[in-house]
Amino acid sequence: MKKDILLYWLVLLSWLVSVDTGFAQDKLTVSGYVKDAANAEGLIGVSVYVKETGTGAVTNNYGFYAVTMPPGTYNLVVSYVGYTRQTQTVTLTDRNVKLDLELTQEGRQLQEVTVSTQREDDNVKSVEMSVNRIGVQTIKRIPALLGEVDVVRSIQLLPGVSTVGEGATGFNVRGGSIDQNLVLLDEAPVYNSSHLFGFFSVFNPDAVKDVKLIKGGIPANYGGRIASILDVRLKEGNAKKGELNGGIGLIFSRLSYERPFLKNKGSFIVAARRSYADILAQPFLRGDLRGSKFYFYDLTAKANYRINDKNTVFLSGYLGRDVFGADFGFNWGSTTLSARWNHVFSDKLFLNTTAYYSNYDYALNSDLNGKNPQDYFRTNSRIVDYSLKPDFSLFLGRSTLTFGGQSILHDFQPGLATATSAGVERTFGLNSRYALENAVYIGNEQQLTRQLQLQYGLRYSLFTYIGPGEAYTFSNDGEVGKRKALVSTQTYDRGKSIQTYGNWEPRFAAKLDLGDNSSVKLSYNRLAQYIHLISNTTASTPLDVWTPSTNNVKPQLADQIAGGYFRNFGKSSTQGRAYEASVEVYYKWLQNQIDYIDGASLILNQYLEGDLLSGRGRAYGAEFYVKRNTGVVNGWISYTLAKTERQVAGINNGDWYATRFDRRHTLTSVLLIDPPGRTDGRSRWNFSATFTFASGTPATFPTSRFEYEGYVPYTVNGRNNYRIPPYHRLDLAATLQGRKRTGKRKDDNWVFSVYNVYARKNPFSVFFQPSSTDPRITQAVRYSVFASAIPSVTYNFKF
Amino acid sequence: MTTLSYFRLLGALLTLVWLNTACETVIDAKLDTSPTQLSVDGTITDQPGPQTVRLSLTAPYFDSATTPAAKGATVTVADNTGRTYVFTDPDNDGYYVWQPAQRDTMGRIGRTYKLTIAYQGDTYIASSTMNRVPAIDSLVFREARINPISSTMGYRASFYARDFPGARDYYRVRFFWNGVLQNKPRNIVTVQDAAFRGSADTDGLQFIQPIRQSINPDSLYRMNDSVRVEVQSITPEAFDFLSQLRTQLTNGGLFATPPANLPTNIVNMANGGRAATGFFTASAIRTRSAVVKKENLR
Repeated sequence: MKKDILLYWLVLLSWLVSVDTGFAQDKLTVSGYVKDAANAEGLIGVSVYVKETGTGAVTNNYGFYAVTMPPGTYNLVVSYVGYTRQTQTVTLTDRNVKLDLELTQEGRQLQEVTVSTQREDDNVKSVEMSVNRIGVQTIKRIPALLGEVDVVRSIQLLPGVSTVGEGATGFNVRGGSIDQNLVLLDEAPVYNSSHLFGFFSVFNPDAVKDVKLIKGGIPANYGGRIASILDVRLKEGNAKKGELNGGIGLIFSRLSYERPFLKNKGSFIVAARRSYADILAQPFLRGDLRGSKFYFYDLTAKANYRINDKNTVFLSGYLGRDVFGADFGFNWGSTTLSARWNHVFSDKLFLNTTAYYSNYDYALNSDLNGKNPQDYFRTNSRIVDYSLKPDFSLFLGRSTLTFGGQSILHDFQPGLATATSAGVERTFGLNSRYALENAVYIGNEQQLTRQLQLQYGLRYSLFTYIGPGEAYTFSNDGEVGKRKALVSTQTYDRGKSIQTYGNWEPRFAAKLDLGDNSSVKLSYNRLAQYIHLISNTTASTPLDVWTPSTNNVKPQLADQIAGGYFRNFGKSSTQGRAYEASVEVYYKWLQNQIDYIDGASLILNQYLEGDLLSGRGRAYGAEFYVKRNTGVVNGWISYTLAKTERQVAGINNGDWYATRFDRRHTLTSVLLIDPPGRTDGRSRWNFSATFTFASGTPATFPTSRFEYEGYVPYTVNGRNNYRIPPYHRLDLAATLQGRKRTGKRKDDNWVFSVYNVYARKNPFSVFFQPSSTDPRITQAVRYSVFASAIPSVTYNFKF
Repeated sequence: MTTLSYFRLLGALLTLVWLNTACETVIDAKLDTSPTQLSVDGTITDQPGPQTVRLSLTAPYFDSATTPAAKGATVTVADNTGRTYVFTDPDNDGYYVWQPAQRDTMGRIGRTYKLTIAYQGDTYIASSTMNRVPAIDSLVFREARINPISSTMGYRASFYARDFPGARDYYRVRFFWNGVLQNKPRNIVTVQDAAFRGSADTDGLQFIQPIRQSINPDSLYRMNDSVRVEVQSITPEAFDFLSQLRTQLTNGGLFATPPANLPTNIVNMANGGRAATGFFTASAIRTRSAVVKKENLR
């Protein structure tokens, strides 16, 4: 198996060398970086269009572009939404030209609105479909829970994205579960993106540059999860001058600092947040609760250094933790570290190599303060990834070739527990599990004719579950849907392959222009997922454990086809069109979906695989989206009609049933209101509102009761046979810009917001329980996470 | 409490106390009703005296009356030594009782008991082995705050018992406060070896502290209260049934698991015959009683 991988790499490398050296020189290349004039941040997705040839390129994730044409004089039109369009004349005689460009933001003020940071007409012109970009400036304008703007909560307002309920960890994309989203922070996966059980996410908005969600037509360079890719890119740090940003809110405070270093060849950003409810509460705590801890913090940092024109290095990291407890306590958190090297081989060939480390762990301790050394319980669990990932882009004029690969070593520690009773200590550990996940891919984006653009690629992924470890064999003779009995255990030595899975993953997307302002797109992708989050609770808990595919757990596979119509219309005061609209439909087939037997035991269970069920899934739907980019009132409305079902032997007699996260209708609307005269300082206010409506999620309701020892349990006649009432909510926010002052402070503002304005008691779930006073009286109880309007105020500043 | 219930507790604490906005409201819900099933509630013990198996019928979920009795059934229990015990329903209320001849005790540790029920043309069977149970070594009290934020003091009880080394053992703990069985859902305490399931391997240890202290009411005890603690041996199947019973009765909130039918060991002999609910268990019991007095304080 190792030989296979080696072979792939060799083939790739030799092919690469031949491409690089054997290129004809009758064409010349213009290449370089496009940056923001204000802070020299590389801009992602800027359109560089050659007027004379009608060809062009889009800057990659590092702001790099390259266009190729015969000698001559050309006009390059460089455009990006929210930035002033720039035309640059370039003459090619006998040499390739290096041309770095800087774009200036249209509005002078920091808080100026750009609904999305992307190139103009991107939705129509790009071959990408089922992609949503959401600019940090927009995220910062959306009314936020407790005044804290949040990336994950913001993407829940996009079409095709939903959540199982208020404050639940993660998000569901087109009928996928939360572990089917690949959440990347500067290319390192984040295994748990939540703070405070899911009310907030780990991404510090002050340090985030770009957020991109890919729901379909996923290019070949991505893999490993089957529903979506959430690609979060951090800011590089202001490379022109020092900048201090901060904010003080009700829940936590933020502070970030960025500046250039080493004669502006490098820059960095450091951003930190900490919640302080515990500090505020401390004077009111007494007795055993004194010393209670409940807080979370995170630290996000990134630095880059431009060695020369051909080489740039980046280092980024995240460190965050949630801590709760008095005597009994637990904590969880992630650490990611990614190092990247950008190398420009020739003017056409760009390489990014990423090496990353990602860790998620939790620990639980019954005796946090060491008061009771005779009797305590401790447990911890973690998942660690080490990965190397080279990605090449070859700019060939009419097409852009991407190729590369990835190797990941997964190290799972499902749980290590220590129990001490009357001074006797016992340790019980589930064996660590190891797996290697390798992939190679090649993809091409090609302008076939003026109207037709294609993006196609192939990815091959190879997963090996390796020793040291134990492989379990379970009996299939028992009743379907019940715990499977262990038949035998086999022990494997270090490095020995226990089980191998390989999958070809074809990817395809096509775009056909229908005139200047509309296009139709079609895409197909197959994705494979080899690691799985084991969770059967309504909302995922931080104690949920990731597990690899094994001899018993097959990799999850998804095939998705999607089609869409995209149109821009209306006149805009600045550039592009005022409105962009799209309709997309999708259908997904899912294989090897994981489910659980009734009463499954998921924590510290060595024979967990005996409690798992496997089935197939299907999800389909339509997404409607209209966005107004400019004007006094801008924002978007999205509506999703969707259905998500599963079929699992052992659940509901093997019939199709709605999944826990199935929502038939989802409507979201985001309105951003900028009163006239905001840019020239006459109005210091701006406003925003969001409205969300979502059909109730399926739930299992009982049918009968019986009596046992005076208790009144229920019986059910199937899973997810009812729906809880629908969810709807209105949030409002107003921002007051500080007065312009001479002096050091550049900018400040107050954000006032109200979450759940009309105080709806939105059901998170409906559950059935005996009354606490009379156990014979049984009740249906609606549980609402928030039952009132939640006002808040935040002060943000910038020096 | 398992680790997950600790976690649920903290989640609830957090949403209720800190954010102080979460809310539970009793609502109306229209429910379907499944066809009626036979329900069995039977535990036989190694204690002297009569043994009872209650047979009833399932009822619509919101029907708050006592569920109807299953009358006219034939109920017997046979052990693996060939003895058969006949249970009758003298009051015609679904409580089928075996009355011992003088000084006769039914349950013996190590024997397997098979319940047979003939009811309305169907025959149901269930079997359960009476496993070993450790003695309770002591039952003591300690003065403590009734909860961390209160200044009211009470007496917290702890009992000490030790798991048998060797094979995995399953137990259940119950307690009586001034002679009254405490039967809130969270008083269903199940033990695997000396701890909860999803814990370390605690084979042969002293029962862990949360189990030792699982025998306290919210208000703790007062001086001169009497407390009786029982440790019962149960089978692994009964452990599953009881822990899932507790989960079902307390399930809710952010981290609820999907509502599901409780497991049952009652089998309808007819292929495809209507299933029954409930459980039949054979339990050996050890008890210890104490009164909250100066000499029992630690």
